[in-house]
Amino acid sequence: MTALAAYLGFSVLLFGIGLYGLLQRRSLIAMLIALELMLAAVAVNVVVLTTYAGRDPGAGQVMALVLVGVAAAETALGLSLFVAIHRAQATIDVETVSELKG
Amino acid sequence: MSGPVLAALLAQWTPLAASALILVFLRSRPAAAAATAIAGITVSLAATGLLVAQVAVPGLSVLAEAEWLPVHGGPGLAFGVLLDPLSALMAFVVAFITLAVMVYSVGYMRGDPGFPRYYGFLALFAWAMLGLVLASNLLQLLVFWELVGLASFLLIGFWFERPAPAAAARKAFLMTRVGDVGFLLGVLLLIRALGIATIPELIEAATTRLEPGLVQVVAVLLLMGVIGKSAQGPLFTWLPDAMEGPTPVSALLHSATMVAAGVFLVARLHGFFAAAPAVMQGLLWLALVTALASATMAMVAGDIKRVLAYSSISQLSYMLMALAAGSVAAGFFHLTTHAGFKALLFLSAGIFIHHAHSNDMREISEHEPLKLTAGVVGLVAGASALAGVVPTAGYFSKEAVLTALGGTGGRVALALAMLGAALTAYYSGRMVFLTLGGRSPSRQVAKSLGEETHRHEHRPSYGDRMMAAPVLVLSALTLVLGYLGPFFAARLSPEAEHEELFHFGAQAVTALALVTAGLALSWWEFRRALAPRVGFAERVPALRSFFGENWYLDRLYDATVVRWTVALSRAAKWNDHTVLDGASDGVARGTVWGGRILAMVQNGYVQAYLAAVVSVVAALGIWLVRTGPRP
Repeated sequence: MTALAAYLGFSVLLFGIGLYGLLQRRSLIAMLIALELMLAAVAVNVVVLTTYAGRDPGAGQVMALVLVGVAAAETALGLSLFVAIHRAQATIDVETVSELKG
Repeated sequence: MSGPVLAALLAQWTPLAASALILVFLRSRPAAAAATAIAGITVSLAATGLLVAQVAVPGLSVLAEAEWLPVHGGPGLAFGVLLDPLSALMAFVVAFITLAVMVYSVGYMRGDPGFPRYYGFLALFAWAMLGLVLASNLLQLLVFWELVGLASFLLIGFWFERPAPAAAARKAFLMTRVGDVGFLLGVLLLIRALGIATIPELIEAATTRLEPGLVQVVAVLLLMGVIGKSAQGPLFTWLPDAMEGPTPVSALLHSATMVAAGVFLVARLHGFFAAAPAVMQGLLWLALVTALASATMAMVAGDIKRVLAYSSISQLSYMLMALAAGSVAAGFFHLTTHAGFKALLFLSAGIFIHHAHSNDMREISEHEPLKLTAGVVGLVAGASALAGVVPTAGYFSKEAVLTALGGTGGRVALALAMLGAALTAYYSGRMVFLTLGGRSPSRQVAKSLGEETHRHEHRPSYGDRMMAAPVLVLSALTLVLGYLGPFFAARLSPEAEHEELFHFGAQAVTALALVTAGLALSWWEFRRALAPRVGFAERVPALRSFFGENWYLDRLYDATVVRWTVALSRAAKWNDHTVLDGASDGVARGTVWGGRILAMVQNGYVQAYLAAVVSVVAALGIWLVRTGPRP
């Protein structure tokens, strides 16, 4: 097993755990944490693949840092929405947020 | 625009204005409605009187037209008035009879909840008929022809709440419509061939520009309309049923308007029809058969209005016979005298019906009919005219018809027409004797009972006087009209300068003898002491039901045309309700259910959506990897 496969296997594992958590957990906050795991897997992929493609490794690392910033912004937005939902419904269980169904 | 044209327009459009005024503004004001209608028709009568004075000059013909919707290269449709002695005299007759009926109806229809509507429709009827009479163009004539049909539909079905009048109105409309289809086709053929339908040009073209074959086809098609409208041949059965309308309506319908329209059309287009002698011969025989058949039906009918209806059919046949034999003057003369005495007969019958509340002659005779002086005078005068008793109008005009027939119709036709005259005399006598009462024991009892109950209440009211006045005027006219024969002959057949409508000879003596025999037979059976008061035809059950049920024609129609039509309309209804509606309902239902099923996918759980998205993206990825890169 090459080092690349190991990196990518780690990334897949991280993405799979995140996906499992996203689909499995009922709490919105836990789902948001799982989403962050999936985003981290993507960031690892960017860094690894940029390096292995023979480009400047700095570009991949800069991109990873940008991704962390985006994740932070997304988390701030998500958490503020959850607070609003909690105020309205006194719960953040994802199954209670289903008023827009057809 | 000259004076006569203005007068014609005034005569034609005043009744429409009155009708619209009544139907829109005066629906709840009976007195004002009647006054408006009578005022309108009085204006018409004055205008048509002026027309008669100015236009009824031998050989005169005034045509005033305005192009309507001119199309370059298309058919020239001009609408206007055609004034000649025929239309002027006919318009006067129409306006006069309508006025008489309107005055009479003030008494007859008093208290009816639909009184204003009745007058509105009467005025509409007068407008339609005057429009038909004065029309200059065959297409215009057709429009008013249909309007006449509409107006009579509305009036026959005036008491539409009851099923019988509603059915009678529908029958009248549909049966005349059968003939009108032919009329429409004939008019279209003419317009296609000539590009124009102005009446004088049609008549001129019939002998010059048109092929004889086409003239014959068109003549037959136009006559279909005449047969339907004038209740001839196989299409007459609507007329007896039309008796369901109010009696004054019958008087109008049978004398000057509806049924006279067909005869008028033949007189109007006589030059055209004359170019198809074979068709005219056919019309002659059809009219003869109709005259005899309807006379037999009148012999057994017990309802006084039905007797009069059958007599109308028979008399219309006489008019058509005279026209078919080539004499416009004789045919139109009979139309005029018939309009007078048939309106008179219906109006006086109405007096009896109003009094006895029954149409049955034997029942009327039990309600002291002799006390109704105006009714008795009218009935006797009218029946004498109908039978053809010497000094009355009917005698002269019927002689004129027979003379015309004797001239060109052939011996057999003449003999049959005379037989018809004898039958007419018989049923006229029967009607008078049955209605006014014979010396039957049942009547004696009824009389002694009736004298105690009726004595105090019989004093003529306002309504009775309104009913009596037109009857008396028409009775007087019945005695006078007969002497107008030469007047008609000079104006309607100017080319035949020496045509005598009537001359006293062997033929006239024979006719008189037959009429006398008919009257004597009716006296023997219905009036003399110990008379059985049952006619010879009524005694044979087979004849009685055969004659009484329109020669089973209605049954024939019910068993064939009506049944098939009903079956067809049922099938169409099934097709409409089950197939067409079913298809659209099915589409709608399918859409609704499809929507419900698809809506189940939208369950509102974010994780379910996410799972679906992830699985689809994964499946796509696997598929892309397996198919490999594109070449």
